[in-house]
Amino acid sequence: MKNKTTRFLLGSLIGVVLLCVGVFTFFSLHMSAQSSRAINEVGTLYMSRMSQQTSSHFDSIISLQMGQLRSLADTITTAGIHEDPELQEELIVQAKARDFDYLGFCGNDGSIRMIYGSQVAVSDPGPFLVSLGKDQQKVAIGTNARGEKVVLLGMPSPFPSSEEHDCVALVAGLPVDYISDNLTLEENSERAYSYIIRKDGSFVIRSADAYRNSYFERVRVSYESINGMTPEEYIQELSAAMAQEADYSNEFEMGGERYHLYCAHLPYSEWYLITFMPYGSMDSVINSFTRQWAGLAMLSAAVILAALLLVFFKYFQLTRAQLREVEEARRAAEAAQKEAEHANRAKSEFLSNMSHDIRTPMNAIVGMTAIATANIDNSKQVQNCLKKITLSSKHLLGLINDVLDMSKIESGKMTLNLDQVSLREVVDGIVSICQPQVKAKKQQFDVFIHDISTENVLCDSVRLNQVLLNLLSNAIKFTPEGGEIHMALYEEESPKGANFVRIHMQVKDTGIGMSNQFMEHIFDSFAREDSARVHRTEGTGLGMAITKFIVVDAMGGSIDVKSRQGQGTEFSVTLDLEKAEVMEEDMILPNWNMLVVDDDRQLCESTVASLSSIGVSAEWALDGENALSMVMKRHNRGDDYQIILLDWKLPGMDGIATARRIREEIGANAPILLISAYDWGEIEHDAREAGITGFIAKPLFKSTLFNSLRQFTDMPEAEEEQAAEKTRDLTGKRVLLAEDNELNWEIANELLSEEGLVLDWAENGQICVEMLEKSPVGYYEAVLMDVRMPIMGGYEATQVIRTLDRADRDLPIIAMTADAFAEDVKRALDCGMNAHIAKPIDVREVMRLLAKYIK
Amino acid sequence: MTLQECYAALGGDYDEVIGRLRSERMVQKFVLRFLDDKSYELLCGAMESGNYEEAFRAAHTIKGVCQNLSFTMLGRSSSALSEALRGGYTPEADALAEQVKAEYQQTAQAIRAFQEAAAG
Repeated sequence: MKNKTTRFLLGSLIGVVLLCVGVFTFFSLHMSAQSSRAINEVGTLYMSRMSQQTSSHFDSIISLQMGQLRSLADTITTAGIHEDPELQEELIVQAKARDFDYLGFCGNDGSIRMIYGSQVAVSDPGPFLVSLGKDQQKVAIGTNARGEKVVLLGMPSPFPSSEEHDCVALVAGLPVDYISDNLTLEENSERAYSYIIRKDGSFVIRSADAYRNSYFERVRVSYESINGMTPEEYIQELSAAMAQEADYSNEFEMGGERYHLYCAHLPYSEWYLITFMPYGSMDSVINSFTRQWAGLAMLSAAVILAALLLVFFKYFQLTRAQLREVEEARRAAEAAQKEAEHANRAKSEFLSNMSHDIRTPMNAIVGMTAIATANIDNSKQVQNCLKKITLSSKHLLGLINDVLDMSKIESGKMTLNLDQVSLREVVDGIVSICQPQVKAKKQQFDVFIHDISTENVLCDSVRLNQVLLNLLSNAIKFTPEGGEIHMALYEEESPKGANFVRIHMQVKDTGIGMSNQFMEHIFDSFAREDSARVHRTEGTGLGMAITKFIVVDAMGGSIDVKSRQGQGTEFSVTLDLEKAEVMEEDMILPNWNMLVVDDDRQLCESTVASLSSIGVSAEWALDGENALSMVMKRHNRGDDYQIILLDWKLPGMDGIATARRIREEIGANAPILLISAYDWGEIEHDAREAGITGFIAKPLFKSTLFNSLRQFTDMPEAEEEQAAEKTRDLTGKRVLLAEDNELNWEIANELLSEEGLVLDWAENGQICVEMLEKSPVGYYEAVLMDVRMPIMGGYEATQVIRTLDRADRDLPIIAMTADAFAEDVKRALDCGMNAHIAKPIDVREVMRLLAKYIK
Repeated sequence: MTLQECYAALGGDYDEVIGRLRSERMVQKFVLRFLDDKSYELLCGAMESGNYEEAFRAAHTIKGVCQNLSFTMLGRSSSALSEALRGGYTPEADALAEQVKAEYQQTAQAIRAFQEAAAG
């Protein structure tokens, strides 16, 4: 299709170009022919005018001279003129006065008897005599004794003849130059010039370059072409015209130039004036016009061609673009189809995997239930079965949760629920969840927290927990008994700006590791390494896919994995999280001197830094022996450490032994706290005995330190505050309760009235809004709002209240509903409610929230 | 029949309700008031006439009341029914409504028995 279009376009382009060139060439040629015809006509016209002018000029000159001659002749009255020298003398004077060079009588034999001037003879006496005989005035050419040409004027007159002479006419002579000068035959040598010739072609008067005797001879030799005729044809034509004394015009080429010629008869003579004009001058005018015209024509042709080309080019481009679009659409469709097929296949695989994975625990449940039913009286057996059923159910539940997450991810419905999250709480929570498993497998579990400057960040705590829990439970699962699991958390500045902080989380184990092939697929759905070492399938194989989605796609972070088979695995998660705006309570402790003892230098340094930021000056030691000597030194100076933090596991002397020694040295005054990632239940007894005051749980966040150490200050302000909140008196505060069910209203009324609140009942949202509108501003301190009500629900009522034109339109509104899903809570807050309480009514919770929001 | 026995008979959680409402007198008062609540009739009528939106609200109200009174059994089935009706009618709704009816009768019976015992 593409080729066809291109061919068609190219063909029509060439066709149009050819047509254009043809039409313009035709016009050019036509115009050129027209103009040459015009030149011809103009030339002929111009030349005939010029010839007429010349011949009339000739006529007037000759007539003038003839007149002179006649007046001379009229003086001759007597026959004795021939003999009377006096009379002749008289004639000579007269002739000289009239500028005649020669004067004589012509006899009927043509001989001239000179009266004055040297002897001349008529060159061609025949026609001259014939004319004179007919009593006609005539002009002829003669030659003098020196062979020079002389123009002779013959005036027939009835002179009395002498005996010797038969005189027919008086003849006067003028030099040829006189005629040619007066006629200005060579008017303008570069333009036009003329000859005077006779019928036989011989020259009467000629220009210098015509050196031959006859014009015809010159024609034969010099003329290159004569308007398509041979020289002879031309001569014949010219002779015929001359014989009829008609005007004749033609053109010829000589010496590479074109000439126009015009031939006309001269009066009083057998002569013909033949005038030549080169086309050059005329041509140059017309040629420039023609050139201009041709130029214009070519220019317009070029413009039209250019326009055509442009149109074609644009059209071509358009066609190409269309073709490309079609092609792209086709490709996109193909890609989409491929993707759809792929997704379909993935879905089928997913389903087949799913059904297998679901069937396994399901079979266990069904089987165990059957066994339990069969042995219903054997309580031990039943218990055993129930235990297994519980395990399988949990597994199944986990699987279903993962599948739901996965389907949320795949349908793009998983959104983050950003909230203020305390990293300390997250890690604390994770550690306490993992500890039972770690203990069960006798693994060593370390948590390292350092450089945490911002403890509160904006994040989805549930999803963050999910990620960490997944990484940790994998680490625990794939690390054999007695192995090590290492979790680190640290912060650095985020490239996203000052409002963000970059958080690195690492989970490292000394477990079985992964093969390189498997690492490539670790984030795929249902990826599980099939190897002899992983015989039992635990988990769903979806965990890492979900983890990756949460970290990378939802939170915009990155996740890296390093692993070597048999040596262990390390996962690193990097997240840029926004810092939460926390009104961090002033965490300031007295300026104590403290000692931190831990074998991890990093932990020591970051703990000391955290402590100094809350106002405590601290020193650190890496083992028990050093710690003891530092304590001794201080003690001797009388400047004891006020509090000592001691790691349980220390090289050499362990924490408990160190504590015992310190107590021996400095007595029971300063509190000694044991640092441990584990619950200290197992060692509490020993620790207490050794004089250890308490326990502080890793990780050591700033807030952990503050909260643990605050008990040793004399200012328990925070607790006081809490107590104040609890006992805040709301007696007499008026609260509007929107609730459609009377029984529920009564219960709420009863319970809250006992706390001293005054309640008013609105049966639905609309009544609630109306009651509020009718009340004076500030009458109600808060609204407790059921969500599901007839006529107007709680969400709508809240939205209406928030837009009322009242000063107290932003009074606290707390949702009370039987719906307790996260979506319901979110929707309540989105509608403008301040908080959400799930039914059943818990008076303490209601009072706490009212106390929080009522000003 | 004691209030505690009554709670056992209607599948409720006596400890929980006494924890929240604090006195047996209060619990007894509201339990007896439960019989006067019209939500159940509303639910039956709405299900029959096919007004599932109203049926949803009625089921939801019953759920709320049950939560307040810790009638765990009836609360659970009415909750399931309200979920089945939340987005309009679903095929499960009929069976669940039957279950709610049966459990309501059981609950009401237990309360009436308690009422008689208290009066007698």
